[in-house]
Amino acid sequence: MPTISLTQSLVISLIQCVLVVVFIFVVVPLTVFAERKVLGYLQQRLGSTRIAGHLGGLTGLLNRGMWKLGKVPVLSYWRGLPGLVGDVMKMLLKEDILPTKADKFVFWIAPALSFVASVVVFATICFVPGTFFTFPTWVPFLGGLPVSGGIADVNVGLLWILGMATVGVYGIVLAGWASNSKYPLLGGLRSAAQMVSYEVPLTLSLLAPVLISGSLKFSEMSQAMAVGVPLWAIIPQVIGFLIYLTCGFAETNRVPFDMPEAENELVAGFHTEYSGMKFGFFYLAEYVNMTVVSAMAAGFFLGGSWLLPFGLQGVVNPYLASLPSWLVTLLCEPHAAFFAIKIVFLLFVFIWVRGTIPRYRYDQIMAVAWKYLIPLTLVNLVLAAAVRLAM
Amino acid sequence: MKKFLKTLIPFDIAKGLSITGTYFAKVFLTANRAKVKQHVVSEYPEVPAPLEPRFRGRVQLILDEAGDPKCVCCNACAKACPTGVITIEGGKKEGRKTRIPTRWDYEMERCVFCGFCVEACSFDAIKLNSQFELAAYDREDFSLGLTGAHNVLEPSPVGKFSYSDEA
Repeated sequence: MPTISLTQSLVISLIQCVLVVVFIFVVVPLTVFAERKVLGYLQQRLGSTRIAGHLGGLTGLLNRGMWKLGKVPVLSYWRGLPGLVGDVMKMLLKEDILPTKADKFVFWIAPALSFVASVVVFATICFVPGTFFTFPTWVPFLGGLPVSGGIADVNVGLLWILGMATVGVYGIVLAGWASNSKYPLLGGLRSAAQMVSYEVPLTLSLLAPVLISGSLKFSEMSQAMAVGVPLWAIIPQVIGFLIYLTCGFAETNRVPFDMPEAENELVAGFHTEYSGMKFGFFYLAEYVNMTVVSAMAAGFFLGGSWLLPFGLQGVVNPYLASLPSWLVTLLCEPHAAFFAIKIVFLLFVFIWVRGTIPRYRYDQIMAVAWKYLIPLTLVNLVLAAAVRLAM
Repeated sequence: MKKFLKTLIPFDIAKGLSITGTYFAKVFLTANRAKVKQHVVSEYPEVPAPLEPRFRGRVQLILDEAGDPKCVCCNACAKACPTGVITIEGGKKEGRKTRIPTRWDYEMERCVFCGFCVEACSFDAIKLNSQFELAAYDREDFSLGLTGAHNVLEPSPVGKFSYSDEA
């Protein structure tokens, strides 16, 4: 193990940051696109298939010939993709309107707060335990140095994640208040109440992995939950996963819990007065939050960077030991790709649920949190404690 | 107890998810195939919209084997028409026992596409065809006669994007 100087470690951290940001900014726009397509497919439609006009634009250029031949274009799945570029251009170029009576400073700071709080969470999320890759020796300055799977896999990672997720609520409430308009204020306050309610079962459901793994570090928890638990630990894991996912939907303000922006009641909720890139930041923050929730669910409950979910990997591993070595490497070792695939699948689940379940009434949302989820998480915690005792 | 368990275990949510998931899988696997279509909303301007056989489109005269309109100028359709858009004048033709229309005017701008004219006709001489894309820029374009590019004997030159299995 070569010794690493401070500059080298800083450069490596910077590279990790760039990698994570690239991951986010590849996954998030694709999720925005996938949301339209998948929602369409779920409702027996085709989703977005063209950007503008009859056969105009880039997609028209690609497909005009095939339509002339009387065939549905091969590029069918991706035909709406250039619309994303249009979306981004619109966000960047649209006029940024500041309401006269808005609190200027808070109005400006709210979207930034919302966005930064959601991105910063990725610091402690570990894509693969240990070394992600090692620089080849011919690379100048960094040759032979390992790059770990997380930017800062600190010992209190979970605390950091939950704390930062709470700051995200702050952004929404401030946005609602600073707009100085009734619908955003109502949306922001609803959001505050909802988040306060759902943070309790969310945290309680994450206490079960903490209890079983005996750690707050993301990579250790992920490893312990994936390969370090006996078979019967699957019961608290599955229950905890479902509860966590429900609370995750509520925390990210997604349907069926999208109270802060209930369109038919509150125009658009907390971002009614926002336009241009400030609105874009809220939009991005929502999708980054979805990715964060998916990453945590994947890491703690779906086996993280191992193949099988719910701790089944640790049960199966001894049986697989006799396989050829490359298969063992593929099936039993952790890979960042498995983690990414699980995140993408959970993002699909987010959209799937949006296309299926209608919005709850406000009192129903509160009832679900306080009357069902919190008692359930407490029961789940007892089960987890029993598993811990038996381990 | 049963109700409590039903609330606790999300059966209904699972049922709904399975329905939408099935739709997703079906459409996802057949989205590129024009023949096996699972999506109900088609890409209308490029792919012609299928219509039901009973769709009521524009009035069109049915022709006999000789290529003449079957219409015998009995004026039953003109009397049945609630908005009075049909004007018929009859004439004679060599070798034809019944009368033949020399003028068959149809004012489409006032037509309500109710189909009473078809019901009134005892000679099966009129039908409502499957055209619905009939917008035009001029009011004159809605006055259809026996002659001209836009006439009552054949489908309108506009409206290329709709079809029906029934001819």
